[in-house]
Amino acid sequence: MKIRFLLPLLLFMVVIGILGRGLRLHPNVIPSPLINHPAPAFALPSMLHTGETTTDKNFLGHVTLVNVWATWCYACAQEHPFLLEISTAPQRDFMLYGLNYKDDPAKARDWLKQHGNPYQQIAIDETGDTAINWGVYGSPETFVLDKKGIIRYKQTGPITQEVWAQTLKPLIEKLRNEA
Amino acid sequence: MKKFIVMLFLCCTFLNAAHAAEDMFTFQNAQDQQRFDTLTTELRCLVCQNQNLAESNAPLAIDLRFQIYKKILQGETNKNIVDYLVARYGSFILYSPPFNLTTFILWLGPLLVLLSGLGFLLFYLRGNKQRTLHVDVA
Amino acid sequence: MVPELGNFALIIALAFALIQAFSPVASRVRVTLNYPAVLGQFVFLSFAMLCLIASFLQNDMSVVYVQEHSHRLLPFMYRVGAAWGGHEGSLLLWCLILCGWTLALLIFSGKELAVMTISRIISLLGFISTGFISFLFFTSDPFRRIFPLTPAAGEDLTPVLQDPGLIFHPPMLYLGYVGFAIAFAFAICALIEGKLDKNWAQTLRPWVIMPWSFLSMGIVLGSWWAYRELGWGGWWFWDPVENASLLPWLSATALLHALIVSEKRNAFKGWTLLLAIVTFTLSLLGTFLVRSGVLVSVHTFASDPTRGVFLLAYLALVIGGAFVCYGVRIKHFYHPPAFELFSRETLLLINSVILLTAVATISLGTLYPIVLDALDLEKISVGAPYFNLVFLPVILPLLLLMGIAPHVNWHNQSFKALWKKLRGVFLLCVSGGIALPLLAGFEFKWLASLGLAFALWIMLATGQYAYQLWQQRKSVSWQNAAMIVAHLGIAVLALGITLNKAYSEERQVKISPHETVILAGYQFTLEKIAETRGPNFKSETATFRVQKNQGTPHYLTAQQRIYDSHEQSLSKPGIIANVWRDLYLALGAPLDNGAWSVRIYYKPFVRWIWSGGFMLLIGGFLSLMNSLSLRRKA
Repeated sequence: MKIRFLLPLLLFMVVIGILGRGLRLHPNVIPSPLINHPAPAFALPSMLHTGETTTDKNFLGHVTLVNVWATWCYACAQEHPFLLEISTAPQRDFMLYGLNYKDDPAKARDWLKQHGNPYQQIAIDETGDTAINWGVYGSPETFVLDKKGIIRYKQTGPITQEVWAQTLKPLIEKLRNEA
Repeated sequence: MKKFIVMLFLCCTFLNAAHAAEDMFTFQNAQDQQRFDTLTTELRCLVCQNQNLAESNAPLAIDLRFQIYKKILQGETNKNIVDYLVARYGSFILYSPPFNLTTFILWLGPLLVLLSGLGFLLFYLRGNKQRTLHVDVA
Repeated sequence: MVPELGNFALIIALAFALIQAFSPVASRVRVTLNYPAVLGQFVFLSFAMLCLIASFLQNDMSVVYVQEHSHRLLPFMYRVGAAWGGHEGSLLLWCLILCGWTLALLIFSGKELAVMTISRIISLLGFISTGFISFLFFTSDPFRRIFPLTPAAGEDLTPVLQDPGLIFHPPMLYLGYVGFAIAFAFAICALIEGKLDKNWAQTLRPWVIMPWSFLSMGIVLGSWWAYRELGWGGWWFWDPVENASLLPWLSATALLHALIVSEKRNAFKGWTLLLAIVTFTLSLLGTFLVRSGVLVSVHTFASDPTRGVFLLAYLALVIGGAFVCYGVRIKHFYHPPAFELFSRETLLLINSVILLTAVATISLGTLYPIVLDALDLEKISVGAPYFNLVFLPVILPLLLLMGIAPHVNWHNQSFKALWKKLRGVFLLCVSGGIALPLLAGFEFKWLASLGLAFALWIMLATGQYAYQLWQQRKSVSWQNAAMIVAHLGIAVLALGITLNKAYSEERQVKISPHETVILAGYQFTLEKIAETRGPNFKSETATFRVQKNQGTPHYLTAQQRIYDSHEQSLSKPGIIANVWRDLYLALGAPLDNGAWSVRIYYKPFVRWIWSGGFMLLIGGFLSLMNSLSLRRKA
């Protein structure tokens, strides 16, 4: 039997292999090119301390979770209770920093009053220009920064119990123990 | 908050002193307009991932269109604008993939397949002709 | 009650499919069981489909599938279309159409082949049916219900799908994709038996042409629908699912041509059999891609990787088996070539090479992001700029060949004689390509003139061939007519595509009532914009007066709709169309002071694109007439 008559079969098996591998991937999740780069510099008004400006210097000295959220974002509302849970837990060893994305600050303040505020600090990005610098394309998104203010991980989509237990919590531990 | 540089294009024919509508994006010259069209059609919307930036009505796409518009007016080159976006969103935003070590198969593949297919066909037909010729002679 | 009946019908249909597939080896019994098994399967699948449609028309929200795709305000027409608008329902349509084709084969060609041969083919098709109905029933049951009854409103059909296109486009596509199963079963049967009937190619040809015609029309309808619906006048996006529908079409075109050689010259047997297998493989791959979540596409059904695993395993089994069969048994059909290097046979082989290169090219571009992602390298996008750039040089040689091939003799052709015959036409096309746009008032563009030259080449060379035929024989056979019309269809398509791409113009403007915008010499004036109501939406409807210089005014309406069910918005463009150009307008968003952002397009030669596709359908029909007349003679 000539070898060339088996070529179609071989080619087909390669394609099946690729597709099989493809079934386990998430084609619409975009990886961040900012991983292992310092957080983009910014200076935005603070929501919690009116009149003050918050900058990227706020990230230094501790592990930070920067959470991009908005009142118009349905999934953010679903993520919110879990954020409250991890934020109010005793022995919280990170800062939960909110980035209010393309939102109405007054509406956002009211919303937080109504549903509770999990954030230790919130920056107001009304135009969304700062978020573009962070490569934000949807919400909610959460960035994990180390003590030096370097982005180490990006979570696209809401933080769930599973994501927290399997990925974020161990990562925060590891970063906390770094110099 | 977005500032427009509005220029009314004077058209060669007016229609009863009706007012002329203004372009959403106005440029100093046709070349810039062309650059804007090309850039926005060759960049992918990250929210509606099946559309390019020109077509998508997602808020992020609208924002990015304005960013590109502003940068063209500021005189940035195409390469700068693309690099700016790739630095933030990665190669995913390019609908035309870059040509590098990981993608050269993608770009050269089609031509290679065509040429090797035709080449194989040629040798195959020639080869068989020769063989039957030899058989006849022998 | 109705969903239960539908479910029950599925089970019975599955039973019939099993009988059809696994009929006892004893030949007489198998043959006797063929007709009843296929007929039974068809009747019960039809009944199941009717039950599903009935559930939609009644808006039975206890059926999960209806709840996910319908709404109490959804117009009747779209409720019927919604039956196949989602994964489960479209899979049922798939099974029904497969059975329909099997039945048609049995009825119309049952007597043309040896009894055991046709019986084996039906049995093979039964295996495929069994697989798909099983997949449908066990993982994707459209009749799944939820008790107690959920809220009665329903999720509603996506606004983009609420268009007449939904009624025609999917069924046409499936009539195409699924129809290639017949050629596939033919090929496997031939490989198993190790022999081919004397008239096999003649028998098989209509069963390749008909699906090919339907698929051509289905793809064109899809493009037309996208054009009318999506708001920026685009009609082909190199979206992964669009690519998936183009792949079997390209392969089927190669198969069609190889089959002609098999019929006329009794050659290419092995190659034709391989192409038959490859075409259906691409159909199945397309089916997989749409439902598995492997690719990002606006066309994908709600993707479920578990279903994807089942489908992939099934695919691997069926197609893997087919290729093993090919590898082992093809030697029975292999013939060294008996024709000269420059002959029509060779040109038709080059046709196959080019079309399969096109298949490889599109597959490469579509799957490459997955490969890189799987290898944990970058995540890239491969989109229209890539495909447009890379597809053109592959397809142009084919267009060249289309004009040449009818003039080339079978077996042996002198190149000098050919050049002498065609050089006049060649020069005419080159000059026409350059001159015609200029004469029509367009500026010179390389791409436009190139495309036009190639389109003219096909038209004039084919015309010359037709003229020659008429002179020699004073008549044109069905088969000749089919080829002429189909090739001209491609020429019209190529012309439409090239000129449209080259000479389209667009403007994005802010416009208030009574303002005018000028594009391509046309004046668009916004007369008024008012709120209106549709059956299940409210909309801002804008009326524009369109005039060229002081000519007759035409009016177009464009809408920005908000659908009642979930406040989803859809911009419905207004189009004024004639043979030479479309004027296309889409509303954007409201701005301050009653102004609106609006996109206006001048799109020349768009109708030529749809017409080209329609001509392919006619060409297919003419070829069918040829097959029927040949049978009558026999």
